[in-house]
Amino acid sequence: MGLNRRQLLQSSLGVGAVLLLAACSKDTDSSGPARRGGTLRVGALGTAARIERDPHANLSNDSDFLITSLVYDALTVPGADPNVAPRLATRWEPDVERRRWTFTLADGATFHDGTPVTSDDVVWSLRRLRTVGGASKMPVAVEDIAADGPNRVVLTVPEPNTQLPLLVRLMTFTVKKDTTDFTKAVGTGPFRLESYQGGNARLVRNERWHGEPPLLDAIEVTMFESATALGNAVLGGQIDLASNVGAIAGRTAEGRADLRVVRRADDTMLGVAMRASDGPFADARVRTAVRLGVDRNALVNQVHSGYGKVANDILGTGDPMYDKSIAQRTRDVDRARTLLREASFDTGRSYPLLTKAEAPGEVESAKVIATQLADIGVRLEVVTQDANAFYDQTWLKAPLYTVSWGTNDSTLFYANKLMSSGSNRNETDFKDAAFDAATAKALAAQSDSEYGQACRDVQRIQHERGGYLVWGMADGIDIASARVHDLPTLGGYARVQLERAWLAE
Amino acid sequence: MIPFARLLVRRIALLIALLATVFVVVDLLPGSTARAVLGRDATPERVAAKERELGLDRPLPERFWSWISGVLTGDFGSTARGRSINELLADKFPPTLLLGGLALVVTVVVSLVLGAWWAARQSLAPGVGVGPGAVTAGVVPARRGADTLRRSTAVIRQSTVRILQPATTVAAAIPEFVVATLLILVFALAAGWLPAVTITDRSGFPASPDMLILPVLALAIPQIGWNTRVVRAALVDAAQAPHVESTVLDGISARTVLVRHVLPFALPTIVASFATTVGMVLGGSLVVETIFNYPGLGAVLAGSVADRDVSVVASVVALSGAVIMCVLAVADGIRAWSLRGHG
Repeated sequence: MGLNRRQLLQSSLGVGAVLLLAACSKDTDSSGPARRGGTLRVGALGTAARIERDPHANLSNDSDFLITSLVYDALTVPGADPNVAPRLATRWEPDVERRRWTFTLADGATFHDGTPVTSDDVVWSLRRLRTVGGASKMPVAVEDIAADGPNRVVLTVPEPNTQLPLLVRLMTFTVKKDTTDFTKAVGTGPFRLESYQGGNARLVRNERWHGEPPLLDAIEVTMFESATALGNAVLGGQIDLASNVGAIAGRTAEGRADLRVVRRADDTMLGVAMRASDGPFADARVRTAVRLGVDRNALVNQVHSGYGKVANDILGTGDPMYDKSIAQRTRDVDRARTLLREASFDTGRSYPLLTKAEAPGEVESAKVIATQLADIGVRLEVVTQDANAFYDQTWLKAPLYTVSWGTNDSTLFYANKLMSSGSNRNETDFKDAAFDAATAKALAAQSDSEYGQACRDVQRIQHERGGYLVWGMADGIDIASARVHDLPTLGGYARVQLERAWLAE
Repeated sequence: MIPFARLLVRRIALLIALLATVFVVVDLLPGSTARAVLGRDATPERVAAKERELGLDRPLPERFWSWISGVLTGDFGSTARGRSINELLADKFPPTLLLGGLALVVTVVVSLVLGAWWAARQSLAPGVGVGPGAVTAGVVPARRGADTLRRSTAVIRQSTVRILQPATTVAAAIPEFVVATLLILVFALAAGWLPAVTITDRSGFPASPDMLILPVLALAIPQIGWNTRVVRAALVDAAQAPHVESTVLDGISARTVLVRHVLPFALPTIVASFATTVGMVLGGSLVVETIFNYPGLGAVLAGSVADRDVSVVASVVALSGAVIMCVLAVADGIRAWSLRGHG
């Protein structure tokens, strides 16, 4: 991959096509000549009560997100290196300040009904996304989204932000101007919606797609309420692909010749947030002690069933900028005890570790951590809450709780969204002037070296005194029939990029 | 007719009280509906705005009143995500009704056959007396001397009864999810005879009929276990009645005695048991639907409780409650009919 950071930042002319090809060749498991035709039957998790067809609303069902991503195009999508690949936007350039970004739309992009995509459609969609989905989905204010000619869109942010192309990944689904009824689902994506029933959909190839046309004739998406049922369906041959089905099903499928287990690294972070501003974990030495007190290998083996790898208390392990030169923290019980003593940590009482059964293994991880930390004298009482209650009462507030994040391919994304002082999702209430400065520097960087240095600073501080215990990363586990090829191998939501998949005879 | 109407009014009042309880209980659960809809990243301002939009800032009695007055006009309102609940129920209730209906039919047929057979054979096989009625004059002893062939196969029957006794206990005691998991393991994953999960076609119903077999069995087996025992006990009890003894002494055939003289007396108990089964089947479908990915009401209910979407939860309860009420009314009718002239 011959692109450096500067090229990514400037994303000069023509880079789009290169990136697209690069992303394809890197992220897939090509084998033999690809064959055209066939219907891929995909199972994805979802809940009937949460079915959502509005591409700009909160898509909490995997199945809905999959359907939406195949029908609609986002401006950009995840890639391997760089971690942003073009989609409806083929290229993007910032101004000198990195505040004003111009995105150029793909040539010949049309909606499924044949009408061409204009910048007006994109502007309308992005504005609607901001209104319906809020700032976490669309970081640019409604009035700062504007058209610049028929095929260019300009996004302006108040502070410099080198990450804007990344921030418009996945969610920025483009619909036709003034659409509010999404039952027909007229998008610009690689597949057209043929039928839809209660969360299940049949999608057929869009021959006119602006990208390379998909090989599959059709994709049938079936929604599954439970991972167990999803696993049984693929084991029983009723579907060809179980998306994000988890480690248990992975183990079962491992020995089967007719199935393949796709392990997507850096998929989900399961960790612990320690409140850094006040309370028992405010002293950085206590946080370091906790991080030294856990046995990461044991956690990965027990909680992720071995489908994962240890992490180093830095979020964004899949980032090409992830700093591998920082020494891996390993268990050191003596050092942890010493640090606790130095910080006068009260080992006489027990502390609640709040958790919820949200990500697979989350509650189990809390229990294992509690057992391990008893060895350094930290007594934890695991309290499991219902997910809804957790987000209402515990999240962003409690001194110690488990967290999970997906799509871990950007250190700067997490630094900015979860750890900078001004963030409204500051899970550890981390307020560190040096960290904020490094983050701001990375966001405003005008050169590769400047960006690289700032990113390293961000990670070093996080590793040294941050509020997260990031002990390991879970692989995303998909199980597919051995006939299915070129499935996505990137972590997180990149799992929905099925447009290159094909079926052997 | 008057007592029947009074009973109906009482049941409707009970259902309304139950629905009010559902509102209170879901409201007491910690967590916010608005946040569940908007996702964890929503700002407090957006959550507050959504709560206003959904009317969640109004007092609970007011919300209950506006929902229930809607229900009385046939409008169940809309989900927190803005979907029509009527549409949701119209989508998801028919498959559940199909699954539950089939499970009920299988339960009724199998437990009637097994229960009657057991009651008859038990009384026939000497020394296998279990439970009340087994030691007294049963239906068949009158024919005992006449039928030597049956006597010779008594050992086989005896052992079958010996199997039925523990088998029905075990079936009644095992929860649906265990039965479901075992069925999938054996018949779908190991043998490969039947599909492990349900895949729906464009109508929203299972794409092929064989996808119904395992879910129906998973629901029916525990109910068969329970109801077979009830049927047997009711028949054995009814067989003890003096008039049955006299008909037996009159030399009337066993079949006639069973159908004309025993069954009508056992019927109220049996029907009441089947009526209770309707509730159990609806409850069990919640679990079974999830395990088999069956597209029904159970999944909607589970998701709605997690989302604190009280209108949906209450609507599902109202609908299930209405079904159970109808079934109870039918049971009452049968009871009244079978007790005619006796009560």
